[in-house]
Amino acid sequence: MSETVDIHAPDVEVKKSCCYFCHQNCGVLAYVRDGKVLKIEGDPTHPTNQGGLCCRGNIALLHLDHPARINHPLKRAGKKGENKWEKVSWDTAIAEIANKLNQIKEESGAEAVATAGGTLRTDDWARRRFMNLFGSPNGFHNALLCWIPTFMVETAVSGWSPFETDLGTSRCVILWGFNPGASAMPGMRGYSDLRKAGLKLIVVDPRYSETAAHADLWLPLRPGSDTALALAMIWVIIYEGHYDQEFVENWCVGFEELQEHIFDYTPEWASEHTWLDPELIREAARMYAKNTPGNIQWGCTADQLGKTSGAGMHARAILRALTGNLDRPGGDLMPGPSHYYVTDEELEANDWLPEEQKARQIGSDHFKLTSWPGYQRIADVSREVWGKAPTAEWMCEAHGPSVFKAILTGDPYQIRAMIVSATNPVNSYGDAKMVLAALKQLEFLVVCEYWMTPAALYADYVMPIAGALERPIVHNNYGVTDSLITSQRAIQPLYERHTDYNFWRDLALASGQDPDQWPWETLEEAFYYVIYSFIENGYQFGSYDEFVEKYRMFYPPLHYYKYGTNGFATPSRRVELKSSVLEELGYPALPTWIGPAENEIDDPEVAKEYPLVLTTGGGFMPYHHSEQFNISSVRFLYPEPYFTINPQKAQELGIKSGDWCWIETRRGRIRQRANVEPSVDARVIYCQRGWWYPERQESLDEEPFGCLESNVNVLTSVDNEHCDPIGGSWANRGLLCKVYKVSYWDDTDTDFSIPGSAAEPGISVPPSKQPLAYEPIPYDPQPGFEVPEGLTWDPNTKLAWNLESGLAYDPESGWLYHPETLVYYDLVTGYAYDPENETLVDEATGQRYNMETREPLESEGAHTADGVVSDVAPGATGEKGE
Amino acid sequence: MTRYAMVLDKRRCIGCQSCTVACRTWNELPMDIIYNPVVTEGVLGEFPYVHQTFTPLLCMHCDNPPCTICCPCKASQQDDDGIVWVEATKCMGCKVCVNSCPYGARDVNGAEGFVRKCTFCKDRVRENEQPYCVATCHQKARTFGDLDDPESDVSKLVNSLVTERIFVELGTDPQVYYIPDLGGAK
Repeated sequence: MSETVDIHAPDVEVKKSCCYFCHQNCGVLAYVRDGKVLKIEGDPTHPTNQGGLCCRGNIALLHLDHPARINHPLKRAGKKGENKWEKVSWDTAIAEIANKLNQIKEESGAEAVATAGGTLRTDDWARRRFMNLFGSPNGFHNALLCWIPTFMVETAVSGWSPFETDLGTSRCVILWGFNPGASAMPGMRGYSDLRKAGLKLIVVDPRYSETAAHADLWLPLRPGSDTALALAMIWVIIYEGHYDQEFVENWCVGFEELQEHIFDYTPEWASEHTWLDPELIREAARMYAKNTPGNIQWGCTADQLGKTSGAGMHARAILRALTGNLDRPGGDLMPGPSHYYVTDEELEANDWLPEEQKARQIGSDHFKLTSWPGYQRIADVSREVWGKAPTAEWMCEAHGPSVFKAILTGDPYQIRAMIVSATNPVNSYGDAKMVLAALKQLEFLVVCEYWMTPAALYADYVMPIAGALERPIVHNNYGVTDSLITSQRAIQPLYERHTDYNFWRDLALASGQDPDQWPWETLEEAFYYVIYSFIENGYQFGSYDEFVEKYRMFYPPLHYYKYGTNGFATPSRRVELKSSVLEELGYPALPTWIGPAENEIDDPEVAKEYPLVLTTGGGFMPYHHSEQFNISSVRFLYPEPYFTINPQKAQELGIKSGDWCWIETRRGRIRQRANVEPSVDARVIYCQRGWWYPERQESLDEEPFGCLESNVNVLTSVDNEHCDPIGGSWANRGLLCKVYKVSYWDDTDTDFSIPGSAAEPGISVPPSKQPLAYEPIPYDPQPGFEVPEGLTWDPNTKLAWNLESGLAYDPESGWLYHPETLVYYDLVTGYAYDPENETLVDEATGQRYNMETREPLESEGAHTADGVVSDVAPGATGEKGE
Repeated sequence: MTRYAMVLDKRRCIGCQSCTVACRTWNELPMDIIYNPVVTEGVLGEFPYVHQTFTPLLCMHCDNPPCTICCPCKASQQDDDGIVWVEATKCMGCKVCVNSCPYGARDVNGAEGFVRKCTFCKDRVRENEQPYCVATCHQKARTFGDLDDPESDVSKLVNSLVTERIFVELGTDPQVYYIPDLGGAK
């Protein structure tokens, strides 16, 4: 049909594949003949994209067999970074990697092996499964910059992250730090359609973005000040009385405390931090609160603000609850984990990781909510209410930057090996210079990749991985939603490429893991296991591929107001505006303002030298993170990096459009070209992310592929005191910087330094000694009653326990009770209370005793211990013997 | 009769350039040929009172195309349905048509030596499918169809909305219509 190939020829098969160059996973039809993909196009019947494909989706065919792709396992032949390789077979490479990992495990413990993952390119439940069975808790992603802390905070507050927006009947949407116009094309189409139908669109973005252009209300705030805006919006909604009183009374706890706590966070107060007119803040709050049902759409910004992130997430969770938008038609839906198919969490085998290994997870002592301590608490409650737990991969991980620091410092212990899969850490993790130094220094590095990236260059083994058209994909939002969309592979992997699932499985078997733990030889078999139970629901299929061809997707019936039956999945079964989970972990129970990592109010000295506010991390077409820079058919659109500066400021600094400029923070500097346009405030600099130059094959020594030259992560900070103590997010936005033109007499840049003053290169304070943004608040609830002798106070359950018998103390009645059967027992003797006969019974012997004197009674013979249980508290009946 | 035309909704276009890339992959274009660039105007104004518009360009498939009459070897031609195209085997690459087109919609690829231009994906259109740039547009900013059919989406749009055409004063009678974008954020 195209001028060169006829895709309607009878021997051409149509495969229902999908794009996976971002999280949308748009449907793709692949036309295949003899194992060769002839053409691809958007699938018009796919619910997400309805036939559309963006720049990235359209280059899938060029990606498939690009000359720069890695097609065979490579083993390092020269020195690290020398780019000399020996081709080895897949099995040889796997066997050698497995031996080395086992050796390290033997010598230093399994925790010395870490893995870094990338954004949704992979089936990371398999990676988690491998790591759990291997015994290491140190897997991580860039998850802490992308939704995961938000998910965990919102789940702590309201029992599940309400991340699905029910847009059909919604009346108002806040796109908060989210620019679907450049990063979620299908979503943008939806917003345009709905806005035409009357939807109010509020956009919070410091930059006039593609999305802001379509907004009803655009809030161009100071980068990094989102938390102040959210707090002020709560203030308006509470003190102007726009909240949903019925929902708050019936379903929320902590409202009075919140009301008091929020008192000082007025729009006028927020104005100073956000640079927004207080009236604009009021208008936004009113628009959102009065146009219910409405939504707050999650945006990456929430997770990239550094130390101010956690409070902002908490505040947004409160906004959703105050307006009663949770799980209602048109509101923010809380799907919960799926009961129709096997969730990712169930595939991860988390039970196999020993408790003592969980405790060794790097970063779990500092950033507790997104690592084992917080995850465990949330997963326990979630299992009680939902029946299943959220995915542990992503939600419960080591703190990435801390792992890189551990490689360099051996603090808290030495990380000796890392497997990097689907990520280029030098470009995607904070403090790029530090990451590069860590990768250079690492003892053993394996990289699973498509391309020779800066990270792959320092690897001992580079493994070729199958791409989009070469693998099946199940799209289920990280395993935390109840629907799924499936896609099949168009062709088997080319050359010696394998799916990442096969990489982990092969590695698991080679390193001696039980083959019974890895029963699925291919991804299709694993996915068939995942969806097998659909057959009980009337679906008819005999294989995964058949399901894709016949049904492709699964959407369970939509249920609103699910909290009506079991309550919200929090310890109190209510939306905890004042969060007990956060309180238990040592964090503020109510959202408390703390300024962004660097700001002109708290750090005037820094602001004197670095007067501009930097924002990084925003997505822009045509790239996704650090990808596609080597594909000329998209690179021609944007061959060079640009930062945006306001014309007024540019004139002040003598910068003209297109000038190469240095952008410098306390951690280093990068150069990008100037895009002079009034889309940002005169005090703001917006920098493009992800830049490296794969075409620079020469000069691979210090800074391979120019990976530091224009890389914004040279500017970002991962100092512990800049990270959010709750979720561990580091600071990408709202940093202080300065900008000046590149000239030939420029000095060379400084080395990396932690803490972030370039005066002292390297890590001058060991990570465990680096202060956090704020100290944990000791969680030590005191008993509100006198604990009787012999009982032990437990702050977690807030009860006094008799540890021998496992009975809890009821301070009101002065009796003990069994927490499950609710039978009451005498405090002194331990005999059970029988309300029918007003006697005490020794459950072991069946002997009865007098209530008051505790003297044995004559046995009447008819009563057995079984008949005496009751959940009536002796004090409550009023009949108990005094 | 059939008269193919395209309507571009500038209110919906977000300047993602997907159509530009999509066109080059579907039509397997060499690196130096682009059929449909997207032109950005702005950001204009003073922060925060600013606006920006995007104009996707392509061959206008004019009713009075200057590029066909000037062709010395009859390679540049127009079909009855209005599609203007170049027959590669007849073209000698003299570039007269390239110079005559006021829209810059055609060019010669150095390696191939003949003129290439947008054909409204006539291979697809004749299979009753949409041109690829229309199919691939996430924002549904492009509408394609038969202007002579009063029930077609393009007729409805052209007849019910204020539309603009580019360089209409030159008398080329272009058949690509633009719905203007009148405003940005508040």
